[in-house]
Amino acid sequence: MAFFNFKNIKVAGVACAVPTNEVKTDSYKPLFGDEEVEKFMEMTGVRASHRTSEHQTCSDLGYRAASELLTKKQINPNEIGALIFASHSPDYRRPSTAFVLQYRLGIPKEAVCYDISLGCSSLVVGMQTIASIMNTSDIKKALLFVGDTAGKSVYPEDRSSVMLFGEAGAVMLLEKTDNETDQINALVRSDGTGFKYMIVPGGGYRNLHANEEVVMCEDGNPRTLMNSFIQGTSVFTFTIFDVPRLIKDFFAQTETTPDYYDCFAFHQANLYILKQIAKKTKINFERMPITLDRYGNTSGASAIVSLCDKYGESCESKTIKVMACGFGIGISLGATSFEINTDDIFPIYEDDQVFEDGLITNPDQLYEKK
Amino acid sequence: MEKLMQILQDIRPDVDFENETALIDDGILDSFDVVSIISELDDVFGVQIRITELDPENFNSAESIWNLVQNLK
Repeated sequence: MAFFNFKNIKVAGVACAVPTNEVKTDSYKPLFGDEEVEKFMEMTGVRASHRTSEHQTCSDLGYRAASELLTKKQINPNEIGALIFASHSPDYRRPSTAFVLQYRLGIPKEAVCYDISLGCSSLVVGMQTIASIMNTSDIKKALLFVGDTAGKSVYPEDRSSVMLFGEAGAVMLLEKTDNETDQINALVRSDGTGFKYMIVPGGGYRNLHANEEVVMCEDGNPRTLMNSFIQGTSVFTFTIFDVPRLIKDFFAQTETTPDYYDCFAFHQANLYILKQIAKKTKINFERMPITLDRYGNTSGASAIVSLCDKYGESCESKTIKVMACGFGIGISLGATSFEINTDDIFPIYEDDQVFEDGLITNPDQLYEKK
Repeated sequence: MEKLMQILQDIRPDVDFENETALIDDGILDSFDVVSIISELDDVFGVQIRITELDPENFNSAESIWNLVQNLK
């Protein structure tokens, strides 16, 4: 049982950014037909999403979010002792994107920086990792970046995925405090038997130069080995059975009930799944902010996107009890709880900036004299 | 069986579950319907149908779904 309890650590702020370009799900009707798109929207709740341009990355969005967060919280980057980028959408095959963000934000060399390769569960596992680091070090403040640009690896005519994913980057600031009531709980699970349920099979070191021929798959969708594959039914059954069990176990471990929490910031997988999870765990669906309709499934960023959407523009200042849950590719799943003041939840920013210095299109760029 | 028929009718009121015997083979139920049925079977009968049991033959008729539930109980 991987249950964690961290005292004297609090979530001191969250922020996120999405690309400016909005794609309406309706716009797929000429490609997939009215009936199919309508049914998709009804089932998933996705009516629009935001997509990056060719060279814009998740770290560009995270950079904007972090810049806003640090400025508004009046935090000097020199105070940051750990920076983790938890995502399946790195800027490069190597090095870790965390170093790029460290450089751009001016985080000191004394900080620990690295990436965690995770998707929809990245917020929960990332929090557990950062809190563990803080708990056993002299680090006072840390940044966790989450999010993905999942749409970039979807074949454009893959009806199972192309309408589902939105893109976003989010950041969470964690701080050590003297108050023992500041606590973070986390329950994390993994199930490698499902490693093929959601996968991009080519491009890794198992099949680095995979065949990019388009193949019509058994589910009737065209893809190449470099594209994202989702075995929908397998994923559905996992989320319907295993996620509710995790949540019930989390309530038991923390000796809480659904009534204890003000907000359930859950991964925005799709509307049907979220309703099923709420029903099976007796969570009041009214307390689960939904952003699928405007931002789609934004992978690991989606819980923060939903928090920012609900509280980012609010003038009311109050401390809320949040339960967050992430689940997906891996299979990886986890639940966490924390308190946050709504003043520390910032609005959703829209941004189109690309880190031009990071775009290497010609090897000679790497040998330019400074 | 009565409870099962109710579940099926609630999910797809337009389908004749009394007489259809090729619900999957003829494309009458899609994957979303199957997932909805699986979820309801868990709630009502406490049976968890995993991917290994997702043989189309198990979902071709109300009777085959009922047999699957009985086997898993």
